[in-house]
Amino acid sequence: MSASHRPSQETLAAFAAGRLDEGLALVVAAHVEVNLESRRDLAEIEALSGALLDTIEPEPMAADARTLSVALPHRNIELPPRPVAPPDAAGLHVIAPYTLGRWKSVGRGVALRRVDVPGSDARVFMLRAQPGTRLPAHRHTGAEWTTIVAGAYQHEYGRYAAGDFDEADDRHAHTPMVDPIEGCTCIVALTGNVRFEGIVGRLLQPFVRL
Amino acid sequence: MDANALIQSIAQSSDRQAFVKLFDHFAPRVKGLLMRQGTPADLAEELAQETLLMVWRKASLFDPARAGASTWIAAIARNLRIDAARREKRSRLPDVFDILQGEEPEQPDQVLDGSERDSRVRAALTSLSPDQLRVVHLAFMEGLSHQDVAKRLSIPLGTVKSRLRLAMARMRGSLEDLR
Repeated sequence: MSASHRPSQETLAAFAAGRLDEGLALVVAAHVEVNLESRRDLAEIEALSGALLDTIEPEPMAADARTLSVALPHRNIELPPRPVAPPDAAGLHVIAPYTLGRWKSVGRGVALRRVDVPGSDARVFMLRAQPGTRLPAHRHTGAEWTTIVAGAYQHEYGRYAAGDFDEADDRHAHTPMVDPIEGCTCIVALTGNVRFEGIVGRLLQPFVRL
Repeated sequence: MDANALIQSIAQSSDRQAFVKLFDHFAPRVKGLLMRQGTPADLAEELAQETLLMVWRKASLFDPARAGASTWIAAIARNLRIDAARREKRSRLPDVFDILQGEEPEQPDQVLDGSERDSRVRAALTSLSPDQLRVVHLAFMEGLSHQDVAKRLSIPLGTVKSRLRLAMARMRGSLEDLR
């Protein structure tokens, strides 16, 4: 796991190319939205893609530019309004194109809301935990990608605060401890199965199995 | 060819000659790129046309301070490819990329000129060896995992990682004073 709490170069490249599962991509986007360094890395990767485009072997077009240019549409287009983030998404903008479920309390100071990401193999949700909550210990068979939207938590691999990206995989078992003052709100994408241990875990299980 | 100026000319005066020049340069490259990424030739042709039509329609949104022409066009092509691959359950990722693009940077003084970044990156690319360039192509153009790059080229994973590290260091070095 990266000590910088940012996605790897490899992950950012796959994100930029549009090759990540959309649920995982949304969690990366939530991080890129607020992290200046990752935003700069993404801009560099996109600049690299642009430069590489110029080095591509051209493939002859069937269409003729001159013919097309005669029939070009009028340029005064109305651009669709940008979707607006719901007021209770803790200021997260990239979530705006998606449908959100209601917050549902799962007990012990933890609430979840589903994020509907059509076509994704991941289960995506926002999680809100009261200050000082101990999240249930769990293990993964797939990936668990998290971006902290507000507040913080801490686990065996470090402290994660607003904007940080936390990439866990099947090598890790962990027990996040939510910040005792600020609490924590995050967006999570899970692939594969997660096995929770303990009582809150059994409460969470039906939600993440959705 | 000054692609930035051509797009701006479309934005200012719906310049059809500029469109023809941009099309002749970029459409065959976008088509080539899409085919390399596994898009069938017919669809690649269609998407390359759509990409250049989008350049025409969105020319007034082009901001060379954010990204140069090639970078902007590559992003349009990517969004159309994502869209085309997911006709049934519409992907929202192109919207997400638009939102990220539109977000104002928090510290404007740290923002460097996008077109300047583009030309530095382009110059850095020409200094790479053919072996390095091939790895960069697969990892960044096609977005393959390092593992898949290694498989595709039948070279060890460690070699992929070290070539990419060198290539990125070269690129970063050329941007150092701008970061």
